[in-house]
Amino acid sequence: MTETVDVLPEHSRHPFIDQLQKAFRNNKLTGVGAVLFLFIIIIAIAAPLLAPHDPLQQHIIARLKGPSAEYWFGTDAYGRDILSRLLYGARVSLLISLTAIGSAMIIGSIIGIIAGYFGGMIDLLLMQVMDVLLAFPALILGLIVVAMLGPSMENLVIAIALTAIPPFARTARAPTIAVKERDYIEACRALGFGHPRIILKHVFPNVFSEILVMGSLWLATAIRVEASLSFIGLGVKPPTASWGGMIREGFENILDNVWLSVCPSMAILLVVFSLNLLGDGLRDAIDPKTRSDS
Amino acid sequence: MTATSKIEPVLDVSNLTTSFRIGGEWYPAVRGISFSLQPNETLALVGESGCGKSMTALSVLGLVPKANGRVEADHIRFEGKDLSRLPDEEMRKIRGNGISMIFQEPMTSLNPVLPVGFQVVEALRYHQNLSRAGRERRALELLDLVKIPSAKSRFKEYPHQFSGGMRQRVMIAMALACRPKVILADEPTTALDVTIQAQILSLLNELKAETDMSMIFITHNLGVVAALADRVAVMYAGDIVEIAGVGDLFARPTHPYTEALLRSVPRSDRDTKTLYSIPGAVPPLTRMPKGCRFTARCELAVDICRKQNPPLDALAAGDAHSVRCWVRGNHDRAALKENADV
Repeated sequence: MTETVDVLPEHSRHPFIDQLQKAFRNNKLTGVGAVLFLFIIIIAIAAPLLAPHDPLQQHIIARLKGPSAEYWFGTDAYGRDILSRLLYGARVSLLISLTAIGSAMIIGSIIGIIAGYFGGMIDLLLMQVMDVLLAFPALILGLIVVAMLGPSMENLVIAIALTAIPPFARTARAPTIAVKERDYIEACRALGFGHPRIILKHVFPNVFSEILVMGSLWLATAIRVEASLSFIGLGVKPPTASWGGMIREGFENILDNVWLSVCPSMAILLVVFSLNLLGDGLRDAIDPKTRSDS
Repeated sequence: MTATSKIEPVLDVSNLTTSFRIGGEWYPAVRGISFSLQPNETLALVGESGCGKSMTALSVLGLVPKANGRVEADHIRFEGKDLSRLPDEEMRKIRGNGISMIFQEPMTSLNPVLPVGFQVVEALRYHQNLSRAGRERRALELLDLVKIPSAKSRFKEYPHQFSGGMRQRVMIAMALACRPKVILADEPTTALDVTIQAQILSLLNELKAETDMSMIFITHNLGVVAALADRVAVMYAGDIVEIAGVGDLFARPTHPYTEALLRSVPRSDRDTKTLYSIPGAVPPLTRMPKGCRFTARCELAVDICRKQNPPLDALAAGDAHSVRCWVRGNHDRAALKENADV
């Protein structure tokens, strides 16, 4: 998106759209991150069309091959095409991360907004629970959940969501506390609005942008955690391809073929990198701390 | 007591006390004030910052924070209901519908992330049973009514695209949305510059004439009072110290505080080098004197003023002009002495 002239907006736009535009205009890397991430998403969706081979098809004769015209990134210990497995793995990693962060965003912001809006005992109770969850490092909490519920895609989503809910609750609570003291909330009360209506229609839109920024940054973390859990064997079960699992499989044959581990690592690196670029740019445009030059 | 009181007042507040808890103790910010509002009347509440004028308005609407605030009253009667004893559910039906409020800060009283038109529609949605199209039509009417130029094209704009005066007009439109009987205007022009102030005031005057509503106008600006009010109640440190018709008050300011207030208004018809200001400051809520609260700043203070708070009494029997002062009020000297012993 290229904005040529920068005068007073002639069309009325949501202030968040302005912030978004600023994020992309002021920092070109934000755009790079967004394009890269979008590209990866498209690849993941189109995996069945793009993949040259069946990701599960084993070719014992062609095991541990280096890159070639037939197998672009080589093959693994069972002779499976690494490129195809990478493409299908992207689906698994992104699906798990997006679902987990999506649900964490919803649950976390509900908790945070309720805690911030009502304050008092409700706030204390909810935030104490959040603090307890926050005390566990993401990986440890993931370990506990998966160990308790067993390794599966759903449980992985639950584990990652659980680690991400507290930060979202915190992110939502802080601006809620600020917003609920604003005059326009009192004006809403003076118009006779009830709490649910004020929260939904007047507080949430003010908190939304910060939650969205948090979401883009935490998506990167979720992908890392998912890979870590898969790496130690608590992720999706083989033979389904996932990036973390592929690194581990490659790890066993790392002396024969480095490609096995390097390729999925690069894929993770690329996604995390693109999300961090995007998230940082958005945060700079929206976060009042970095926005003001004090 | 007065000629006007034969008509049923729209709003009748009796013995309203609003207290706040500071360090575990309750201190009254508004203490025992009573007033009534006649149909289509504008009552101005005048006083300096922190004298309890805004708290009076918030108490009437039941918007005093419950965590550390407490509202007590003999009654706050509105349309046959006692607002001081109404559950919050019922109270919500009155807010914005029967009684609505205009706030001081137009710059922060609109939600920055919602379109202006939407916010007016919201004000309608809650109380009025209108279709979506009907609401939008009514919202447009309202924006036209408060004289927002090309309201239709500005309907979907955001507050940051509006100037302060325009935002205040939007706020007024929202307050008027459900055709309330009473509008509580809490310093609606204080944050605006003088020319815009004049526009908003004349708008309010016009609207009042057109819609037959009553208004409580809170301000510290006596010029505004003269332009708008029918009756004036002067407040000091939580008390109404003087209440009178607007002409009467300006002609015959009786309480020393009212007098001092009027003296500190700059006047173009007099050649003065320095502007009078009242010495001292309002005592803090936690350290209110026992007697009349104005004593420390009063030039006329006598012994009894320090001992006992004077009652709010009519200047003469049947007079609508009442004042709360031992020296200037309707007490003879003998009664003064007698009271001093009580």
